[in-house]
Amino acid sequence: MNKQQLSRRAFLKLAAASSTGVALAGMGPLRNIAAAQDTVELTFGRHWEAAFRPRQAEYDEGFMERHPDIKIDITYNTWADHNNVVPAWAAAGTLPDIIYVHGSRATPWAHEGIIIDIHDIVTADEEFNVDGMWEESVRLYRVDGRIHALPYDHGPIILGYNKDMFDAAGMDYPSEDWTMEDMAAAAVELTDADMGVWGWDGQLDLGNGGGGFFVGAWGGQTMNDDETAMTVDTPEVREALNHWYNLIHEAGAAPSGTESEAFPNQNPFRSGACAMGHIATWSTPSMRALANFEWDVAPTPMGADGTRSTGAFGSGYGITPTSDKPDVAWRYLREYLSLDGMIFMWSLSGRGSPARPEGLEAWLTSDPAPPSGRYFLEAMFDYAVTGPPFSSLAAAQVSNILGREAGLLRLGETSVDAAIAAITEEGQAALDAVAEDM
Amino acid sequence: MFRRFLRPISPSARREERIFYLFILPWLIGLVVFNAGPVLGMLGLSFTDWRISLDNLQFIGLDNYATLAADPIFWTSVGNTLYIVVGRVVFGTAFALLLAILLNQKVPGIPFFRAVYYLPTVTAGVAVALVWIWIFNPRLGILNYSLKQIGITGPPWIYSSTWVKPSLILMSLFQVGPNMIILLAGLQGVPKELYESAEIDGAGNWAKFRNVTLPMLSPVLFFVIIISVVSSFQNFTEIRVMTEGGPGESSNVLIWYLWENAFIFLQLGVAAAVAWIMFVILMALTGLQFRLGRRWVFYEV
Repeated sequence: MNKQQLSRRAFLKLAAASSTGVALAGMGPLRNIAAAQDTVELTFGRHWEAAFRPRQAEYDEGFMERHPDIKIDITYNTWADHNNVVPAWAAAGTLPDIIYVHGSRATPWAHEGIIIDIHDIVTADEEFNVDGMWEESVRLYRVDGRIHALPYDHGPIILGYNKDMFDAAGMDYPSEDWTMEDMAAAAVELTDADMGVWGWDGQLDLGNGGGGFFVGAWGGQTMNDDETAMTVDTPEVREALNHWYNLIHEAGAAPSGTESEAFPNQNPFRSGACAMGHIATWSTPSMRALANFEWDVAPTPMGADGTRSTGAFGSGYGITPTSDKPDVAWRYLREYLSLDGMIFMWSLSGRGSPARPEGLEAWLTSDPAPPSGRYFLEAMFDYAVTGPPFSSLAAAQVSNILGREAGLLRLGETSVDAAIAAITEEGQAALDAVAEDM
Repeated sequence: MFRRFLRPISPSARREERIFYLFILPWLIGLVVFNAGPVLGMLGLSFTDWRISLDNLQFIGLDNYATLAADPIFWTSVGNTLYIVVGRVVFGTAFALLLAILLNQKVPGIPFFRAVYYLPTVTAGVAVALVWIWIFNPRLGILNYSLKQIGITGPPWIYSSTWVKPSLILMSLFQVGPNMIILLAGLQGVPKELYESAEIDGAGNWAKFRNVTLPMLSPVLFFVIIISVVSSFQNFTEIRVMTEGGPGESSNVLIWYLWENAFIFLQLGVAAAVAWIMFVILMALTGLQFRLGRRWVFYEV
């Protein structure tokens, strides 16, 4: 048997080839490690519902293509839980780099060190046009005059109406010169209690965006401008609250709190049971998706003296102190909150409420925007005011009190006088308790 | 007095003792790290101005407790808690006992009924709460619909300050499965001879229940009442999902008040004080029950 033997030279060749292969194979992972070290992971705490996440994913994929050195990792909370999860993260020292910040949380979160002061970063960036945002929206995030977060959305509350119900009643749609009295009279006329149909949706919201709508037209305010005093115990606010209370409980032109529970779409106006309701830009996509009728919007009706007023509110994003890469976080936010970013995320998607006038203009061409959506734009330019409470450390307590009393008024379990007394007493106590810390 | 400790222990007993401690060690570590540690930590933090960060904590003595004492909503929440706890424990225990007695009968299909009554217990709390929101719905809910069929106009249930607490107590009756099982086991442990003796003495059903069943079941009832009190204090899911403490403050219970202070108002020091007050109330109530238990709990010798 002729044995084939490996010559010494052949053996060395093979050994050299093998060693080179092994070495090259070993360098593969090394190259990957080197690449991974060049990539920075940016973490987020957001709250989008499932339906809007693909849009976010699309944006982020585009961003990562433009910035291959940045990898995005998102934790989604529910809307209901986000504001509770963030303080827990903060207490545990596990905050992501960038977090969603509701307008009402900016001041307390800035005060507690949950978001950092980004004023210098924002103003030093000449390519980022912060002046192109609604000043009313940026105001939410100014703490002691310095920007601590930036808005992505901000919108006003105006009048929404069910065109089908107006048509069926043979009535004219709400017009630009409508007053609150005109609206109440139409609501009464459109009500048919036996059929379970009301003229107004009965929602009564006194905090943030709602305060301006419900008491502003009478010249009232729930709080003073610097949020150090409750100002509900005035003839103007009393008259406004009596107007809404009587519309629900005396005229029966709106469902009470009990009656309005469990409409199919969790909202009597959206469900088609009410001819009118207040509507914000951010609620237009759900109107579009769920309302089974023709609808449109009109300006907020004027008060008796011709005053037109409404509230506006919104949300934004901030950078956290636990982020070890605020510069990278800003690279993301400056694009995300630029006009192009807002148009992609909130205008063309139809989501609504971009915090820039041009963005809102672009949204008007999107599918969910109502035919007269321009009234939103006019409201922002002409008469919408960002509604308190948001700049006091007691904002959450005051919001709770306002919400509680509005709920009781709607249920008919308290009187306007008693509600005003409770709001004044408890709200003022809450504001006084934090006065030293402000 | 110390004789039993000084008594020499045999090597086998010592080995057995070591094995005993080895087996309970994981539980002991868990108790210290996850229960006793946080409880003591909370006590310390309740004397501080803790908001979010643990850096720069200021010792403020009893200020948080004074804040609570001066807050009328705190006292409202204490009252609401006691109302709901008493309602849940009294009606819940009575209902669980009634079910246990019924399910202890020798009739066909008993395993099916036992499973049916236990079913709500194995369903997620949030899901149960969501179902009950619909059941309680004044316009569309099955409860008011059923009442309407017999000519009664149902109340607004959880949408009324007057009715919200009774509603929550009513709802809790459908979650008595665990207590029912414990009481059922207790009932099945009552010696038959005692009933036979009672019958020979001419006792009727009520007399047998009062003089045989209840005394023999009293240790089990005692246990059920204690765990019911504790669990009623800690009941958070229904409040969070169904009422958020409202309408007004009418269902604002201590656990909700604590949560609001911690996660809405960011007053974690105050929340720690509430947690400790709840702990003290629960310990006091448990101690009181043990004291009262001496009068009515019958232990077999």
